Amino acid sequence: MIKDELARLITDGYNALGELGFAESSTGYRLYHWADRNSLNQARIYRSPKDAREIAKYDSSGAYRPLKGAPNLPRGWVLELPNINDLKTALDFFYPGAVATWLAFREGKAQPVCLRQTLNRQTGMYRVTRKLTDDHAKSLVKEACRSDSRCLRTILWGIEADHPPDFLPASKSDPTVDQTGQSRTTLPFLCLEACNLLVAAARTTVKKSSR
Amino acid sequence: MVEKWESALVLVGHGSTLNPDSSAPTFQHADEIGRRELFAEVHCAFWKEEPSLREVLRMVESDDIYVVPNFISEGYFTETIIPRELELTGPVTRRSGKVIKYCEPVGNDPRMIDLLLRRAQDAAPNVPREKTSLLIVGHGTSLNQKSAEAAQQQVRVIREKRLYAEVTEAYMEEPPFIADWRKNTSQRHVVVVPFFIADGLHSYQDIPVLLGIESDRTAAASQQEIFRRNPYNMDGRELYYASAIGTEPLMADVILDTVARFDRKHLCDVAA
Repeated sequence: MIKDELARLITDGYNALGELGFAESSTGYRLYHWADRNSLNQARIYRSPKDAREIAKYDSSGAYRPLKGAPNLPRGWVLELPNINDLKTALDFFYPGAVATWLAFREGKAQPVCLRQTLNRQTGMYRVTRKLTDDHAKSLVKEACRSDSRCLRTILWGIEADHPPDFLPASKSDPTVDQTGQSRTTLPFLCLEACNLLVAAARTTVKKSSR
Repeated sequence: MVEKWESALVLVGHGSTLNPDSSAPTFQHADEIGRRELFAEVHCAFWKEEPSLREVLRMVESDDIYVVPNFISEGYFTETIIPRELELTGPVTRRSGKVIKYCEPVGNDPRMIDLLLRRAQDAAPNVPREKTSLLIVGHGTSLNQKSAEAAQQQVRVIREKRLYAEVTEAYMEEPPFIADWRKNTSQRHVVVVPFFIADGLHSYQDIPVLLGIESDRTAAASQQEIFRRNPYNMDGRELYYASAIGTEPLMADVILDTVARFDRKHLCDVAA
């Protein structure tokens, strides 16, 4: 089960995912913003995994965070969770499906889907994204997915099938690289397919370029 | 009672990249069903939020999976988007040792009529109904006629109950348009009920602008101190705007009934 594998990974020394840090504690598991790791005694304590959903909803300025991989998680909280199941649930509220996706990818049960395949199946208002040129696609992904300000996921898909994302900095497509720029023992935070936010941005790009 | 201790429930909502309240009803009902411990696992998935429809099935560990669209009607999302993104082949999809059972949207439940009427009553408890127009407002889309047809069906049934002087419908994206409510309703009092699951982007922020009760998009409902200031006096008319029906606690039972209805309807397909 995913929770058992997560427990094993923690025992093996993994202690980070995206902006999060986690560790076993005397009462179960502790989950916190990595940047707060040396000041957890000043953090507000939460005890339900569902609190993670609310913490992850807004950034520190109160703005809605529709993209959970964005590097703008608020600070100043710590989740004290009694068991591995609650830790898994809380991680899924912060970074939905990240652990399951990593495990599925590692076991060969999930593969990246190229951008063309994602765009070509769109209908309705997003059908127009099929017209996104390769050059526009590359510039868009470089900007809209950059780790320092937009999204911490590691991109494994290319523009076309069987093409790696070699238009990106090598670090952005290497699952072993910590996208926060630190050298932590972090769980890979993978992006196997362009998200709806990127598809929506592709639509805007196509609309602008056709004006 | 539905007891599915070896099955997963995946509730699918629209979600929003702009409005933080859009996913709230889906999470609310998933929490309630999870609290009742009827399923091995309960997950949410969204078109516009995470987890996406593309990634949610990786999170599911049970081999038997019920997918329930938390949508107000059949239409573009239930017939095109959800099956495509989840790669479903019909009501029953078998893939990699898993059985995915695709249920009807919650809006197909006959109790939606009662919920709409309750919202109308809550928004305007003291209006004389014999001098009131009840306006059901839906999304409507040229991509699929079924969403408008569902609203029309609700209007027909409510009209037959003869509770209000007038019962009619209007849409965001197809005629009769919401913005034309003044000419399409005849009574002094007008009670408007959104035919939507969430008090999200469309029902809380867009439709008030179309109705003319707000001049511009307001902040999301959860970021306001007061949900709404009924009534709105406009051009000698009194307009009341209700909240969406999807946050009703009863919806958790509606979801469970939707699962039970699937089993009754597709027992043979699943056994095959």
